[in-house]
Amino acid sequence: MTEYMPEFEHLVPASLDEALAVLAERPDSRVCAGGTDLLVNMRRGLVEAGTLVDLGMVDALRILKQDDTGLTIGAGVTLAALLKADLDWSQLNALREALAAVAGPTHREMATVGGNLCQDTRCLYYNQSEWWRRSNDYCLKYRGETCHVAPKGNRCRAAYCGDLAPALMVLGAEVSIAGPDGARRVGIGDLFAEDGADHLKLKAGEILVAVHLPRAEGRSTYGKIRQRGAIDFPLAGVAVSCRGRDDGLWFSLAVTGTNSCPVMVEMPAPMTRDDAADVFFRDMSRRVQKAVSPQRTTTVAPHFRRLSVSALAARLARGLAGVADP
Amino acid sequence: MKDGAKRHAVGQPAPLIDGIEKVTGRARYTADLDHGDALVGAILRSPVSHGRILRVDTSRAEALDGVMAVVTGDDCAVPYGVIPIAQNEYPLARDRLRYRGEPVAAVAAVDAKTARRALDLIVLEIEELPAVHTSDEARAPDAPRLHDNKPGNIEREVHHVFGNPADGFAQADLVREASFSCAEVNHAMMEPHAALAEYDPERDRLTFHSVTQVPFYVHLTLARCLEMDASRIRVIKPFVGGGFGARTETLNFEIITALLARKAGARVMMRLSREESFLTHRGRPQTDVHLKIGMTGKGRITAVEAEVTMAGGAYAGYGLVTILYAGALLHGIYDIANVRYDGWRVYTNTPPCGAMRGHGTVDVRHAFECLLDRMSRKLGLDPFEVRRANLLNAPLFTANGLMVNSYGLDECLDRVEKASNWHERKGRLGPGRGLGMACSHYVSGAAKPVHWTGEPHAVVSMKLDFDGGITVFTGASDIGQGSSTIVALATAEILSIGIERIRVVANDSAVTPKDNGSYSSRVTFMVGNAAIEAARAMREKLVAAAANKLEADPEDILCEAETFSVRGSAQSMLGFEEVALAALAAEGTINVKGTFSTPPEAQGGKHRGGAVGATMGFSYGAQVVEVEVDRDTGQVMVKKVWAALDCGYAINPLAVRGQIEGSVWMGMGQALSEETAYREGLQSHAGLLDYKVPTIVESPDIEVFIVESIDPNGPFGAKEAGEGALSGFPPALANAIADATGVDADFLPFTPDRLLEAMRKAEKARKREAAQ
Amino acid sequence: MSRIISVTINGRSYQDLVPDNMLLIDYLRERRHLTGAKQGCDGGECGACTVLVNGAPRLSCITLASSCDGVNIETIEGQARGGHLSPLQRAFHELLGAQCGYCTPGMIMAAEALLRRNPDPDDDQIRQALAGNICRCTGYGAIIRAVHAAALMMREDLAGAEVGR
Repeated sequence: MTEYMPEFEHLVPASLDEALAVLAERPDSRVCAGGTDLLVNMRRGLVEAGTLVDLGMVDALRILKQDDTGLTIGAGVTLAALLKADLDWSQLNALREALAAVAGPTHREMATVGGNLCQDTRCLYYNQSEWWRRSNDYCLKYRGETCHVAPKGNRCRAAYCGDLAPALMVLGAEVSIAGPDGARRVGIGDLFAEDGADHLKLKAGEILVAVHLPRAEGRSTYGKIRQRGAIDFPLAGVAVSCRGRDDGLWFSLAVTGTNSCPVMVEMPAPMTRDDAADVFFRDMSRRVQKAVSPQRTTTVAPHFRRLSVSALAARLARGLAGVADP
Repeated sequence: MKDGAKRHAVGQPAPLIDGIEKVTGRARYTADLDHGDALVGAILRSPVSHGRILRVDTSRAEALDGVMAVVTGDDCAVPYGVIPIAQNEYPLARDRLRYRGEPVAAVAAVDAKTARRALDLIVLEIEELPAVHTSDEARAPDAPRLHDNKPGNIEREVHHVFGNPADGFAQADLVREASFSCAEVNHAMMEPHAALAEYDPERDRLTFHSVTQVPFYVHLTLARCLEMDASRIRVIKPFVGGGFGARTETLNFEIITALLARKAGARVMMRLSREESFLTHRGRPQTDVHLKIGMTGKGRITAVEAEVTMAGGAYAGYGLVTILYAGALLHGIYDIANVRYDGWRVYTNTPPCGAMRGHGTVDVRHAFECLLDRMSRKLGLDPFEVRRANLLNAPLFTANGLMVNSYGLDECLDRVEKASNWHERKGRLGPGRGLGMACSHYVSGAAKPVHWTGEPHAVVSMKLDFDGGITVFTGASDIGQGSSTIVALATAEILSIGIERIRVVANDSAVTPKDNGSYSSRVTFMVGNAAIEAARAMREKLVAAAANKLEADPEDILCEAETFSVRGSAQSMLGFEEVALAALAAEGTINVKGTFSTPPEAQGGKHRGGAVGATMGFSYGAQVVEVEVDRDTGQVMVKKVWAALDCGYAINPLAVRGQIEGSVWMGMGQALSEETAYREGLQSHAGLLDYKVPTIVESPDIEVFIVESIDPNGPFGAKEAGEGALSGFPPALANAIADATGVDADFLPFTPDRLLEAMRKAEKARKREAAQ
Repeated sequence: MSRIISVTINGRSYQDLVPDNMLLIDYLRERRHLTGAKQGCDGGECGACTVLVNGAPRLSCITLASSCDGVNIETIEGQARGGHLSPLQRAFHELLGAQCGYCTPGMIMAAEALLRRNPDPDDDQIRQALAGNICRCTGYGAIIRAVHAAALMMREDLAGAEVGR
């Protein structure tokens, strides 16, 4: 075999219970879905796993159901399948735009919703070859002692770069999780922690099963800043939703690519008829700037990512509110 | 057809003669060659930017089961380099390490896993030395020296003056200066580097397959570094997945693969990863240009001064040619009487730079065309009119002695000006949108190659045998540009035969004539002319045989569509096979050859550096770019490109269009998103995710206009088509961005972070000015 | 660990013992000697390795061979019928959609998947479908023209006819 892959045992359980049993029995195992993140990292020697638990044959993870209460998306549904699905997308625009913005079309055929949410954090000191990382004394995220991004800090600053998470956050999603202690359901924001080396609040042996979206109201959108029109992870991405209530327009925002987890930015008050739109959106932009903390995890300057994503957020919000650009 | 000639083969769009292999997956690239029993090669690379090697202990690697050979710097004490007077690189470092990623040792083992494990067992002790990663660091007074014989880390300094710049500036109504900084870029050809070497110790013979653009250089370098008789070496180039200059020089991994094969007495397959292909580098250097132009109120250029500094990496490589070309190619495009050029090629502790499409010209042309645009605006002149005020009047020799026989820049300007609707649309596209234009040019091969032996530049041989087939033998390397197709078309045209009757055999040193290789856009001009000469020699033989059979004078023989007849006589007609058999009856298998040499007047002036840039003919191009800039995010969207190129004559218009589109687009990559990036000399871009080759999504429609100036010396009038359009794109984009945003950016590439910063700065400056 | 997989490749059935960690690209190239799919990057970044698995495009360089048990694989080698080029192959050849040819097998397979689900794509749909396949030679213009021409051939069932240039 020419291409490098570490050795492991590849197991393909046929049910969720079987998968959970393997995870419980083998502490050195890793869950694998579409493989577009994990297998790339394995080729670079970033993941050691005695067993790869392939969820590709678990039918329970491919559920896709929309009814009066909302939408349930199995973690194993591929991004392409979801994009093509015959759903009422009218209230789910942010999700649709985020799906279409992930990597390239072939990645989307392979990659799953669960895999996209659970993808590893990224950093230019981490997503490198073994030779590269060794030459650089490794890093805090993997095998090393120092975070080269913030050497004085005590945690890994690798950035979370998933496109779907912010969209699902502003749409009010919850996720269900199965594990050795049974099933649980949490708000999607509670899936993540601000630590680049340990950014998922999944306990040992747990599997993400599904995403649940309530019947949404209002409008939403997702915008992504990247250098190329495809393939690239977001330098920063922002999802915005807008709900009209009696007291005005309520906005929710969530940002990806800037921190070790997706960051929720709530506007504390609605935009009312009395508000001057420019003042309101300038304040929104400032709130986004304050909430995010991009680091030197990419070759593109942190300052730029902060400025551009906050400007983009306000522009998208204006669009949803139907307020012309200044 | 502009020259009025009636032709049947050339001048019409022709699919590549090796295209079917490519679309069916049958094309075998180096990594695809049967390697069932080949050992697997792997390279240990320097972890430091600069260091002294204290110890390389390979004993544990050698002892590992399955390891068949280990080589280190001790296995090759002969330095190499593409320029005979600047050979200072070893395939495996000896004593000193000068960049992160430099090969130190290599193994050949029974499989990839064992090879990888063996590398981990090699003990490398290094005394780390202070390093310099930029030209400023390298030129600092107390900088550590990379090469003991190169004080100040200067590989080559160039100081040329033509005419009288001081007088020229005195005549100017407007003098402007500006500095530009252009990032280092890489070829990023799609096929990663690979080589397959087979050594037969019984006969001391080496058979070598590689991804090279110049098999001849590989042959010479292997003989040199392995200290072998060149007659014992055979170099074959299979299908090659692009080069763009990366594979002009012989590369370290090629020599290493051969060293391993000889040591193991076996076949060794070396496949570099994408990261390693980037580490091998040889791309366009980071370049600083300080430019000063003098201009009359009517836009006539009176004088130019350029100071250029290139951070060239750790070894000489092509460096002195790059720094010389940057100065020489200030000429040849416009009529400029007074020029001063000062250039410095600097050593840095980064991978060696080399030749890349548009070698030497791109960053300097960018600066030049940007500054012309700024001065046009200052003078209230249209940028097209400024170019027209400075056109050459061919034929002529430029101030530095470059020969120009054909010149279609005026027509290029007309075509893109009209097609883009320039005068109606310029300045009227609305906020954030703009139009920009620029011109460019490039050589059709160097009139004097770096390996000057006095031999012809190109030799093509041709065989006719009992089967009536024409086999053409060429050493020209088809790396996707379609050179074999050009050879076939030229042959078909001269012999008046169908291309189906022709087979082209290329790039096997045991079979094909030596060729100087595929670089500097030399192949169509030089090899095309050699093919024409060979075909004429063949045609003469066939015409003689036909004349003999038809009992007519050879002068009266007409040869058309594979038939021979006597002028004015309708009855007597002979088919090609019949005439071929008649010709063969006289002398058996017919072998003829054609050659091409450049005349002395093409080889440049007598002054110092006069041979640089000298060529048989320049291509000329003009481009208009339409752009949209997002003022919130700094993101640039190229909406449309109009590109005209004077290629002399389009032997294969399909390939010419492909070359123009490809080079314009590659210029777009350099201008928009591509750059190499280093962290303390460690590449942080070494993959196709971080090195931003544009995707199809942001790649615009490029409308191509082929201009045919019919060069008197070109094959059917042709000149180069594969490089000239590249260097027009970055300045045309810069000028479009200036039109869209009012920002004159002094950097490449226009990444969103840089551009947003520049726009913010400009906005602040405007506000400051308004406040005063 | 190894396992036996049964696969159909370009219409032929195979059973092969493959190591658990073997990538599909290595299986195709080294075991089946189908070297059309290319490795152009260090994993998942360029699309040159694209093949079809059960009709959908897949990056064979980040797919495990052992996950392919029971699937139908199509590669560039299986596109020609009786030695005659498929419409996409013909159009790429005649319109110079392939220069160096290294990205071509992956590009054609990604385009094949597109045309099967959308027989008449517009420029933007072609761009979106090929967005993960990098080409370094053409600037993509000839590729877009070739996909249009192939789509036309397929629609008009002119597979044997020459493409209008």
